[in-house]
Amino acid sequence: MAAEFVLEHSPEEHLARCLDRIEREDGRINAFIELNPRASEEVREAPHGRLRGMVVGVKSNINVRGLRATCASRTLENYVSPYDAVVVERLRREGAVVVGMTNMDEFACGSSGETSFFGPTRNPVAEDRIPGGSSSGSAAAVAAGFADAALGSDTGGSIRNPASHCGVVGVKPTYGLVPRHGLIDLAMSLDQIGPITRDVRTAALLLEVIAGRSREASMLNASPEPYSQRLTPDLSGVRVGFAREFEEFTAPEILGVVKRSLRRLEAQGAEVVEVELPSLEKALPTYYLIVFVEFFSATRRYDGRRYGHRIEEVCGAEVLRRILLGSYISQKEYAGRYYRRALQFRSLIRRELLEALEKVDVLAGPTTPKLPHRLGEELSPLEMYAYDLLTVPANLAGIPAGVVPAGRAGGIPVGLQVHAKPLQEQLMLNVMLAAEGRE
Amino acid sequence: MKVRIGFEIHEQLATRTKLFCTSPADYRDAEPNTNVCEICLGMPGAKPMGVNAEAVEGAVAIALMLNCEIVQEPVYILRKHYDYPDLPSGYQRTSMPIGRNGELAGVGIWEVHLEEDPGKYDPVTGKVDYNRSGVPLVEIVTAPDITSPEEARAFMRELVKVLQYSRRVRREGGTMRVDVNVSIEDGARVEIKNINSIRGLYRALKFEITRQKNLRRRGKAVRRETRAYIEEQMITRSMRTKETAEDYRYIPDPDLPPLRITPELVERIRRELPEAPHQKLARFVEQYRISRDDAWAITSEPEMADAFEQVCTQVEPARAAAFFRHIIKKTLNYHNLSFAESGIRVEDIVQVLRAISEGRLSQQAGELVMRRVVEGERAAEVLREMSRVDEQSLVSAVEQAIHQNPGAVEDYRRGKQEAINYLVGQVMRITKGRADAARALELLRERLS
Repeated sequence: MAAEFVLEHSPEEHLARCLDRIEREDGRINAFIELNPRASEEVREAPHGRLRGMVVGVKSNINVRGLRATCASRTLENYVSPYDAVVVERLRREGAVVVGMTNMDEFACGSSGETSFFGPTRNPVAEDRIPGGSSSGSAAAVAAGFADAALGSDTGGSIRNPASHCGVVGVKPTYGLVPRHGLIDLAMSLDQIGPITRDVRTAALLLEVIAGRSREASMLNASPEPYSQRLTPDLSGVRVGFAREFEEFTAPEILGVVKRSLRRLEAQGAEVVEVELPSLEKALPTYYLIVFVEFFSATRRYDGRRYGHRIEEVCGAEVLRRILLGSYISQKEYAGRYYRRALQFRSLIRRELLEALEKVDVLAGPTTPKLPHRLGEELSPLEMYAYDLLTVPANLAGIPAGVVPAGRAGGIPVGLQVHAKPLQEQLMLNVMLAAEGRE
Repeated sequence: MKVRIGFEIHEQLATRTKLFCTSPADYRDAEPNTNVCEICLGMPGAKPMGVNAEAVEGAVAIALMLNCEIVQEPVYILRKHYDYPDLPSGYQRTSMPIGRNGELAGVGIWEVHLEEDPGKYDPVTGKVDYNRSGVPLVEIVTAPDITSPEEARAFMRELVKVLQYSRRVRREGGTMRVDVNVSIEDGARVEIKNINSIRGLYRALKFEITRQKNLRRRGKAVRRETRAYIEEQMITRSMRTKETAEDYRYIPDPDLPPLRITPELVERIRRELPEAPHQKLARFVEQYRISRDDAWAITSEPEMADAFEQVCTQVEPARAAAFFRHIIKKTLNYHNLSFAESGIRVEDIVQVLRAISEGRLSQQAGELVMRRVVEGERAAEVLREMSRVDEQSLVSAVEQAIHQNPGAVEDYRRGKQEAINYLVGQVMRITKGRADAARALELLRERLS
């Protein structure tokens, strides 16, 4: 199998078609905050690498030199990146072209794509619904055919949630596999950059390009692997775990789609085994306490002196809520009671997941507990946070998790989520390929 | 009344690069805000590289020289949050202790750890220069074992000497910053910030102890507070009280895995540790048979001690020692320079000492030569100039050369220009090389025209 991106047309022609589609449809979808004015020039000069001609959207919290990394916030509305994120350098080196900066929840604080300062994004597959978030524009751009792929970031499901809602593939790699240098922080100990694509093969190819060691401190000492060349849907001897607790928290129409998908895995030779994750319900509060504290710390640089605005004066309600809560619980007198306790629970959840993954090769289940709500529908913060129940464990444990379209419920896409052990992206992608039902 | 004084001393480490990126750590010749990258500017999305290994080794070496135990457990890097223009990311990274429970000159050393320097903010112009941002600092925290400004001054001099001997800190000067804690008779502890010289330290303590004693005499309590030392007025002024004290909201930096200092690394650094000042002093007395006073003066600075040892390979140690202690020290004091800053080279000292021992130069003239060396000249040139024949002797040498070489004079008069060079050579021969050749040429041309 060739480990290269294949185009039907010339790269110039292909880019022109994408731009044409964006021009016709993005006024409605709102997947992009800014387009790259140099894209046509760059595609002509692009090196003949593995991604030659691939049109990529980049989430607005990833630095692309010369474009604005706004994080979809007024706070950074005028911040033009002076440098390329490491992942963007790696994409360019292989011939991909950045078509534009995609929309997102403000500072990645959200699971619906509605909190952007630049307006909400529509779900291209079900236009009255939210696309999910926070990588809303990245998933929508890929689903709508505006781009071949997009980069997203995933702190507690921000790649996988919108991938599931928009019917595309999304991968959150092992923590420390993909360099974060250039990714604007939500919560540093949880954030990972990953690909969003229309098929598993392209996701595998993109991942092998952006993965692997770099000079930043929090990286694993891991080499990139040729995932796309080693992809196989043959799951003979693979044990797939399904947690009893998934059922407890998930809407029945989603469970129906997920179970049909598990049967497809069995048809490819996998054995589905029931496992237990008794601490699953503790994952959400643990996750949010960590996010609040780390996000508070990360936003101290937006003090109004260098980037134009003081964040607290211009940000939206959700961002402000997280900053204030983070400031509150990281006070000297509370630090032990909340943050340190959260870190202890995090260890517990990590241990439990890794133990479950000792008994099986992968865990497979739903991505979100419920289907995406209608655009504009009012949700309380806790209802919004509940979307993340099944996606945060992978971030807390630092393990890889990917989402692949599994079918639809009432016309709305549902994604199957696959977790694997640290650095077992290959096996995870193989299971996703089998579920995808192609090749 | 019993006074207790403790210090927090910050000094820049002389590493090649900054603590978390590859921007140079030496920013002294750079235009403002040019010695920076996205990492030390804390730009959105920038991530630290691993902690600079050279800085870690420097902190370990200094901790060992201060007789600390090196911690075995993982050393977390914390974020200390505060809001100030010089801090580009809104937090300063500071490590947990690397060394603990040390001792120097009878004063306990509580801990030694690493920190990053912030940028430099000028409140008058409102401008910030981030060239310094991210430069590694070592912070040394002492026990409150010091009981007077005089003791504080003596301890500080000793500490500065040990830091210089470690060869791990910047030698350009002016980078040391000291925070001082003072309390009287178990009263509230007052912290004084903004001290950057030993003289400032002494004056700040003098003022602060008097202030606290006066409060007590009037029956008033000393408040727990942070005060700033105002250099120009030699006073301290209140900055903030305990009630308004900042909460730094320390968290372990999620971008940085904790440091692990292995016993192997500690052993290697221990083996390569430079001689401490007191060790060098003892060795000099023993090896060179010089007095303790001479040795103490010479070892006041590691660079001077090195130069002394090199001079001793060519000159008798006793004479060298006297020259160092009396002439060189005096010259440096006069110019208010350290040996390292002075530009004095070993060859300068050797040449002056030789000239003195050969009777070509008096002791006093030797001191004058050293003064000119410190002002930027080389001893060899100065000595040559000083030993030149005076004008009258030169004139007679020129006349002698003309008289003794009629052939060359004839050749020159017939237009053979080179002939005059021969005559200059003869003048040099007659004066044993002590003539100014240019002046001799001038005189010859005058006479022969």
